[in-house]
Amino acid sequence: MSESILIMDGVTKAYVPTAPILKDVSFRQEPGEFLAVVGPSGCGKTTMLRCIASLMQPDQGAVLHHGQHFDNPPPWLSIVFQDYNRSLFPWLSVRRNVAFGLRHVGKEERDARVQGALKAVNLEHAADLYPWQLSGGMQQRCALARSIVVQPKLLLLDEPFASVDAQTRIDLQDMVMDICRKMSLSTLLVTHDIDEAVFMADKVVVLSTRPARVVEEIGVDLPRPRDQLTTKETPDFLHLRHRVYTLVRQQAQKGTSA
Amino acid sequence: MTARRNRIAPLAWQIGMTGALLAIWQWAALTHPAPYLPVLQNIVAGYLRLWHGDLLQSAIVPSMVRLAIGFLIAVAAGCVAGLVLGYLRALDPWVRPVLEYLRFIPAVAILPAALLLFGPTDTMRIFVIAFGSVFPVLLAAIDGARRVDAVLLDVARVNGLSLMERLFRVVLPAALPLIFAGVRIALSIALVMMVISELIAADDGLGFYILRNQRLFQTANVYAGVLTIGTIGLALTLALLAIERSVLSWHRGWRGLSGTGSVI
Repeated sequence: MSESILIMDGVTKAYVPTAPILKDVSFRQEPGEFLAVVGPSGCGKTTMLRCIASLMQPDQGAVLHHGQHFDNPPPWLSIVFQDYNRSLFPWLSVRRNVAFGLRHVGKEERDARVQGALKAVNLEHAADLYPWQLSGGMQQRCALARSIVVQPKLLLLDEPFASVDAQTRIDLQDMVMDICRKMSLSTLLVTHDIDEAVFMADKVVVLSTRPARVVEEIGVDLPRPRDQLTTKETPDFLHLRHRVYTLVRQQAQKGTSA
Repeated sequence: MTARRNRIAPLAWQIGMTGALLAIWQWAALTHPAPYLPVLQNIVAGYLRLWHGDLLQSAIVPSMVRLAIGFLIAVAAGCVAGLVLGYLRALDPWVRPVLEYLRFIPAVAILPAALLLFGPTDTMRIFVIAFGSVFPVLLAAIDGARRVDAVLLDVARVNGLSLMERLFRVVLPAALPLIFAGVRIALSIALVMMVISELIAADDGLGFYILRNQRLFQTANVYAGVLTIGTIGLALTLALLAIERSVLSWHRGWRGLSGTGSVI
């Protein structure tokens, strides 16, 4: 079964031994699959993401990329972080931020790929500006361009739309789905937004409150391409949304009563 | 109109003030002749003599060479060591106590020891200049390297940067605003140490020139040497600011907009 691009096998992580963050988290992701991980806020999603990216090693269990263990982030993995104003290099222009991961690529190919990535996120006109001269949505598009320019196989998104306004969020969701489909990327989206998870993903993994473990995996077989209006009005969407919402709320209530 | 007047008024005040002080000096020199009070034209003549010919070669050039080498060693060593120490925090307990002790030793105090160690040589003078000016750069670089945003370091790791690449492509640029603040302080210390090191067992340089003319009661030349050192300090500071402005142009914009910039 090593064709799975990502296997989480009983991953446990604790900063303090008495208060584990992740407890026996297991799921797998197939190539080309769009996976969304949702859970009550503060349940340890970011810790899980850092384990998945091999920026951090779990205490127990294994994170396997194509069946292999990695001590450092594998070369085909890239991340879009939540805080766009912290994840972009303020001393580099948009173009050079995007080119950051391409330092071993020849100049001609590098320029062409950066241009392609900027075009994909509709940011060609801002290539020579600095990140702090851009709006939040544009900064996050720049971070997205930097992540896809390295032609990753697995794209991790850490609540990438949480810090932008509602209209920008919708535009970014459509843009990300479009890019992932065109590049046949495997994408793992960590979010607390249930609508977003159901709307974008092929499969939703629901985490429990802290210590986080997998409560349920829910397949989302809504047809693609999906549309912000019509898809969200279908009975299937509303039914799935209801199910995920109920699960997350149960967890959140357990968290507050505990 | 008012904006222009706001600029002109202080400028006129400064010129008038300077002129008045010089006039008082000149009046005093003419009416109460004393060895410590030469007339202005002698000081100006001495100043101008310093900037060409033999005196340029025997006073200004040797001083500038020592200053340049000592200061550049301090900046380079301070940056490299500071970035490594700041980034690899595990090294801290090994190095910090020694650093905290050494930084409080005035460089002047090690001058006699340096003289014993290296003799009355350029090496001794360069060593003293570098020792005196390395600490502001070193401490600023340590501090700057510590403040690098953890998210940027994660981005670097995800993009597969090696330790050296992370130091030079992420930690160094992020620490540069603080490092420049340290370099400005280092420059003024380097200038002090340059003069002092030339007051002991020297046969050229600006410090030696001032000391010799004092012993010969050539007071006008003493003041001319002091003014020359002031000129050099001002010119170097302006050059440093110009470099800083072009290297850190991103920093002013970023700081102005995000409001989360450093404290400089």
